[in-house]
Order: sequence, then C-alpha cells, then structure tokens
Amino acid sequence: MPRPPNTSPQTLSVLALLLESPRSWHYGYALSQLTGLKSGTLYPILLRLADQGWLETRWAEPEQPGRPPRHTYRLTGAGARAARTTLAEAAPSRMTRRLAAVPGSR
Amino acid sequence: MQMHGFLGRVADVLARHLLSWLHRRVEPGSREWLDALTAESECAEDGWQRLRWALGGVPLVWTINQRRQRNEPARGIMRARIVLGVANIVAIAGWYAVIIPATYGATHFLRCHLSFGNQPGGCQEHPFVFASIAIGGAVLGMIIALALRARFAAYWWAVFAAFTTVGSVWYLRSGIVDLPRYGATQSTMLMAATVGVVLAAIMREPPGTETDHGPSFLSRHRITALLIAGTISFAMVDSLIRMRDRPLVADNVNHYAILGSAMFAAILAGVIGRHHRIPVERAL
Repeated sequence: MPRPPNTSPQTLSVLALLLESPRSWHYGYALSQLTGLKSGTLYPILLRLADQGWLETRWAEPEQPGRPPRHTYRLTGAGARAARTTLAEAAPSRMTRRLAAVPGSR
Repeated sequence: MQMHGFLGRVADVLARHLLSWLHRRVEPGSREWLDALTAESECAEDGWQRLRWALGGVPLVWTINQRRQRNEPARGIMRARIVLGVANIVAIAGWYAVIIPATYGATHFLRCHLSFGNQPGGCQEHPFVFASIAIGGAVLGMIIALALRARFAAYWWAVFAAFTTVGSVWYLRSGIVDLPRYGATQSTMLMAATVGVVLAAIMREPPGTETDHGPSFLSRHRITALLIAGTISFAMVDSLIRMRDRPLVADNVNHYAILGSAMFAAILAGVIGRHHRIPVERAL
C-alpha cells in the first residue's frame, strides 16, 4: 500500500520544524542544519511541499553585499493546518522511531 | 595544514563547477530551486562543506527534470522522441543512400578526365574526386542533420567528415600501394575524430561564462576547450599506438594526420554544440 503523501520521517521533520514558527521565513541552509537533512534530501521535499501549496517561497535580499539573493520558505495557512493534521495523524511511537532515524533529529 | 587548505580550495572549485554543470542540466524556466540551493551554498564554511552541499544538487536536478516531464503531456513527449529518432535515421541512412552512389558514380565517370594524382595505372578511379565528394557530402550531411535538429546524426557526419578529410590527405600522399598502412592509420584517425567530437561535446565553458543565450563561438574559453579536446584526443590515440608499438603509424605524417583529425572533429563538434545551445523557455 502506498504511503500517504508527506509522511516520510524526513518530511515530517521538516514540517515539524517549520511549524515551530509558522509565520517566520526559513532559509534552506538553516533547515538543513536543524533537521540534519542533506541538501539533496531537503530541497526535493521543499519543492514538493511548494508544489502542493503547503509552502510559500520568497527571494530575500542577501544579508551581505555581493552574495546572491536567498530563497526563503514558510508554511502557508493551508500548509500549516495540513502539517498539523499530518503530524498528529502520524502514530506517536512510529513517528518517534522514524524521527530518531533521521540524523540530527535527536 | 597547507595541504588541507589546498584540498579545501580544490573542493571549493569542484563544488562551483558541479553547480555550474548542474545549472546547464536544467532548462532556464525551471532553475528556481537549483538557484536556491546554489545561493545557500555560499553559507558553507569551507570547500568540503560546499562540495557536500553542491552534491545535493544532483538529486534535486533529477527531481526537477522528472517533475517537468510529468507536467508535459505524455503523448507530446513520445511524439517528440519519435520525430527525433526518425530525423536522425533519415539524416544518416538517407544521406548515405545519396553519398555512396554519388561518390562512386562521380569517381567512375571522372576517372579518365583528371591529369593529376599519383595513380600508377593512369586512367582509373581518382581518390581526389572520391575524397572531395565524400567530404563535401559529409559536411552537407551535417548541415542537413542540424537543420533537422538531429544531433546524433550531426555528430555522426562530423566524425565522418573529419576522418575522411585527414584520411584523404594521407591517402593522396601515400598512394594506393600503401593500402595496408592506410587501413591501420584510418582506424587511428577515426578514433581520434570520434574522441575529439565526444570530448568537445562534453567540454563546455567554465562556470560563469555561459549565458542562457550561449557564448560566442569565438570566445576564449570555447577555443581553449576545443584545442584541449583535440589535443587530448590526439594524445590518447597516439599513446595507444605507441603502447601497441606499431611503427607503421609512427611517422610524422601519420601523427599530423591523427592530430588534424582530432582537431577538425573537435571544431565540428563545437559548431554542433553551438547550433544546439538555443535556450528553450518553458514554464513548469
């Protein structure tokens, strides 16, 4: 049976982190550091969430001159609601086990 | 410590090259997420971290391209592939059907109408005519293939043209009596031409020099890439010959022929690469 969308441990860890401050904009590098996900895992997740309308994206001006603009992310209203539901529906024990398997989530 | 710093810089350069290479693997209209990943790579503290970050671009590019394919109508993709396949087959097989009879017909017809050359028998099929038609035909085949946007066929004819040109020079110089040598040299020239085309097709501009509209054909980087492609091809084929210790292809003329074949092939590949580097703006 196929897994419901956005319930992989990696996606759940991203959603959980974004839900901690749903109205703030997050940078990809910081998300990677905080979740322990590698860029090759994180960005496809972010891309998929944005495609599904869960994630809002914006190009932010660089903090240091000479640097390129940075892409930032935050949950949309619908995305935040869906993320809460998804996280709540994930069985706590299963979720704990899965999150424990994600590097850096401990 | 110094070594560590050096390796870090190498990793940094590799990371930037990798990101640049990945950038070219994605159509301009679909680069937002790769641009995002690239911008974040500036946050890496050292070269190794940046390289690890850049490696994540590989699965991302795969995801982006998969997503684009999914969003395109399947029938359209299949039709495009069929059209492309047919164009390539037509450009190769169709042109062979023209070039072979034309070459043999013309050489047969003109065999007694040319006074120059090195034919011991005098009135016989002349290699100069043979070569001219074969080369002209191959270049024309390449142009037709480019017009049909049949890239594979264009490379095919590029190799053929390069190989025939240099082979003919060698042939005219050596004469018919050297046919056994000609065969061995032909193989090496064909190898040089093929490697030259492939390398030149792979080699593109260093990061930061390519735009969505493509670089100038005469740009410094492009010429350097083509020269390097030709030289590497020559060196590879030459090394193979030397390893096999084949004195029959060791004289200078043959070496120049192989070098010429590789260089010519690299230039033709550059022409093809330039022709095909036309941006396709397509929103997801």
